[in-house]
Amino acid sequence: MAVDMNVFRGFAGQIAKLPQMARPTDCPEDERVNHAKAVFRAKMDSSKATQLESCIHCGMCAEACQFFLQTGDPELTPIHKLDLLKRFYRREMAPMRFLYRFTEPEIEEQDLEAAQYLVYESCTECGRCGLVCPMGIDIASMVNVTRQGLAEAGLIPAGLRAVEQEQGDHGTVFGVGPEQLREAVEALRAKGHDVPIDKKKADVLVLSSTIDILLFRDALEATVKVMNHLGVDWTIHSCAFEGANFGLLSGYEQVQKSASERIVSQAIALGASCVIVPECGHAYPALRWEGANGHGAPLPFDVMALSEFLGREVQAGRLQVNPIGKDKHVTYHDPCKVGRHGGVFDEPRAVLEALGVDVQEMPSNRETNFCCGGGAGLFVMEKAAPMRDAAFDLKREQVEATGADSVVTACGSCRVNLMAGGMRTNWQTGIESLVELVGDNLKPKS
Amino acid sequence: MSDNAISGLAMWIAALVLLSGALLQPAGASVNPPASSAPPSPIAVPNPATDLWRAVRQREMQIDSKTQARGVETGVLIASSGEEFRQFRMNDFVGVAGWFIVGAAALILLFYLLRGRIPIDGGRSGKVIKRFEDFDRIVHWLTAVLFIFLAVTGLTLLFGRFVILPVFGAEAFGVIASAAKEGHNLFGPLFLIAVSLLFIRFVVRNMPSPGDLKWLLTGGGIIGKGHVSAGYFNAGEKIWFWLAIVLGLVVSVSGLILDFPILGLEREAMQLALIVHGIAAIFFIAGSFGHIYIGTVGSEGSFDGMASGYVDTNWAKTHHDRWYDEVKDEAISADSSVVKQPISDRMQTTADKA
Amino acid sequence: MSVSEFIDGPFWYFSLTVFVLGVLWRLFGMLTVGSRTDYSVPRSSATAAAIRTNLTRFLPNADFWSRVKLPVIAGYLFHLGLFALLFFAAPHIEFYREYITGFGWPALPEWAFILVSEIAFLGLLLLVLYRMMNPVTRRISSRGDYIGSVLIFVVMLTGCLALARSHETLRVVHFFTAELLLIYFPFSSLMHTFTWPFSRGFTGAHYGRRGVGV
Repeated sequence: MAVDMNVFRGFAGQIAKLPQMARPTDCPEDERVNHAKAVFRAKMDSSKATQLESCIHCGMCAEACQFFLQTGDPELTPIHKLDLLKRFYRREMAPMRFLYRFTEPEIEEQDLEAAQYLVYESCTECGRCGLVCPMGIDIASMVNVTRQGLAEAGLIPAGLRAVEQEQGDHGTVFGVGPEQLREAVEALRAKGHDVPIDKKKADVLVLSSTIDILLFRDALEATVKVMNHLGVDWTIHSCAFEGANFGLLSGYEQVQKSASERIVSQAIALGASCVIVPECGHAYPALRWEGANGHGAPLPFDVMALSEFLGREVQAGRLQVNPIGKDKHVTYHDPCKVGRHGGVFDEPRAVLEALGVDVQEMPSNRETNFCCGGGAGLFVMEKAAPMRDAAFDLKREQVEATGADSVVTACGSCRVNLMAGGMRTNWQTGIESLVELVGDNLKPKS
Repeated sequence: MSDNAISGLAMWIAALVLLSGALLQPAGASVNPPASSAPPSPIAVPNPATDLWRAVRQREMQIDSKTQARGVETGVLIASSGEEFRQFRMNDFVGVAGWFIVGAAALILLFYLLRGRIPIDGGRSGKVIKRFEDFDRIVHWLTAVLFIFLAVTGLTLLFGRFVILPVFGAEAFGVIASAAKEGHNLFGPLFLIAVSLLFIRFVVRNMPSPGDLKWLLTGGGIIGKGHVSAGYFNAGEKIWFWLAIVLGLVVSVSGLILDFPILGLEREAMQLALIVHGIAAIFFIAGSFGHIYIGTVGSEGSFDGMASGYVDTNWAKTHHDRWYDEVKDEAISADSSVVKQPISDRMQTTADKA
Repeated sequence: MSVSEFIDGPFWYFSLTVFVLGVLWRLFGMLTVGSRTDYSVPRSSATAAAIRTNLTRFLPNADFWSRVKLPVIAGYLFHLGLFALLFFAAPHIEFYREYITGFGWPALPEWAFILVSEIAFLGLLLLVLYRMMNPVTRRISSRGDYIGSVLIFVVMLTGCLALARSHETLRVVHFFTAELLLIYFPFSSLMHTFTWPFSRGFTGAHYGRRGVGV
């Protein structure tokens, strides 16, 4: 893994400066509550209403949350994050609202501010809480709805807001635009790879991400190698290459839609039958599960996570790899948004099996996997640092329990957070990318 | 420092009182005059009923009676021991038990008036240490709630006729007594479960350890103002634990016997069970006065441990210095949200989390 | 009208009406807020997952078990005990036969009635104490949670106190507290009695269509 550590450290430095780069929001302070409520009202449906009615305050959700488990702080109880939304629903939409008007206090601006930390800097929307709830309350989804309300109210935390604004205004993240993409492509071509870019028509549209272009170049290179190995009619496109969706992360729906629609319209223009999302967590549900809804109609193409694609190609026998051998002991970290929220569990494991490595599962794996701590935009929010660190410490225990020499994952965010934690704690365990492992061990096609 | 040494002391006094009271009672004193033969009739023919009556009454005779009803002692028509038992339970026991309970309460009140509330040395520090886990407290309060309910209903059953009936009248007392009996009988078996959980949970921490004897000999500092060293639990607390377990088991087992007359025990055994149940319960209740006193009013800061699970560090230093030395690095602020939870239904401003 | 005539008569009808109408109103209200079409292509059947999740949530995933043992065990002690005594205790079956269904069904023997009542009480006591002692539940519990628990406890307790069926007063008190409970029910979190299959179903469907079986 050839990650340029200077770039990595520079990345961290850039993140620290983000809050200053955020434009002030254009939501006047006295309008905040109304804006938030309007979003809550629009997003409320029978599913959410029923779930909000069903909580019995058993507290089991906290026992699933890595942030609570590491800090013991009951303020971090997952269902408590929904108290703002619940209060709105009760007072204004619930069948018993005539009664709740007297028992639930009216929402005020300081309630929105209090909710900010709970739904942004101390939650990765990993969804583990929703798994344990005996009433089946999907807390993570409603945390996102709360983010959407706060976003309209101008209360996205500054660091995250800066990135969302950049993507909304310029379509770029961290200044990585078509020019930077072409630079990266040229660098790969210089190494002898054939990289189709900006084709007019293609069967497969491959996306990338800022993290891969800036930091994990090897992942991009490996992707290129795999696509060429498979002989697929593919392209990467400078008008639509960014998989990350900071509209989804920040909850600002306008930007969520524009970012995913950019990809959708490009894919349609290309006549693509398949769009491949890079090693990135939330990029997958952003397109696979929410893209069609932003589009307003079913998508005329398949969406696959890269790890999903690799797995299917391995299972179909089209992707040929040389086995590395059972001497390599690894464990697999399921990125929350691709696994628990995406349904991709078997395919990455099929890849590891084909690679012939010894895979030991962590005590909590697949659906119950622990979050790396960096998801849902937490890695661009400085105030979230203690939470990220706490989650990493737990993740580290999980990995070390397997005795593996390295942890393999298929998400750039997870890699960044694991690496940051690893640097902080002088961790000796390796952190590897699934596609890079594949790219390094492709059987040459005769 | 005292911590149930008072209840230990009260126990000993009470035991002596009760024991001497019991010893002074002639055992098996019969209240009825011995059945005498019927006065000689003018016709010198003995009354054939006397023999029958003597046999039925089973005085100093072993009778082999048969009956169609199946069961334990169904051949006994009139139980001779019953009257003795009734006298003991209604006259002797009620009297002694009543004064015993009142006496115990009075002793504690006296202690409070003389000694006052035992303060924390140096006042509260604002930092706290975890002392009791959630399950420790749940088990303790489960036992406590059941104990209070059973004590109230049990005392109603014991004293109600003398204390409640005169005040509320027969009709109301009938309702109260019936309710008390049903409640007492249904919740009784749960007490055995609670005591068992209490035992499992706390036994290791209540094993005797070096320093316990010294603590006892100095009376836990109850007399005089010296500091007495103690570990996690001091000897007074340990004595209370073992007393609670022993008394709790005795009262539970005897209670189960009483609650399930289907176990095939004879009348005498059931009567004994009731006496044992009553004596154990009275001791237990008297002891609980001391425990509750110290845990609430009597010792500043002691209640916190069982409420939130956290105790002030100065309280720990004052009462359990050896334990404090082991855990003092784990102290956290008393205002931390891990310790203190505000009332819900309110959003908290968590900006200070940053 | 005497107090017991009131409690057996008008107040009973009132409480039953509030209960039935309230529960239906609340269920209807929450289930008809509306839904949006999901245009994404599901990975697997949402309906099948909705049913499956309804069943899997009866026991927590093994991964979580060690941390949630107490509320789950106490919860089942209480709920199973409660259902057994509510539906299979002879006095209750008599009541249903006379006032609601017109027919009865086999009852538990007396000793079993006592046993399940004790189990239910133990479970409820443990649950309430857990709510008061655990920092998480202490933080998130509302007045309504405590009122509901206390009310159920009082109804059960008054039932226990009236077990001897010796005094009309005790029976009437039990009926009265039960009627209070019926009135309180639709406005409280006790509604979870009826909402659980729906909330589990919705989440099951959401994750099921994504191919995640939880």
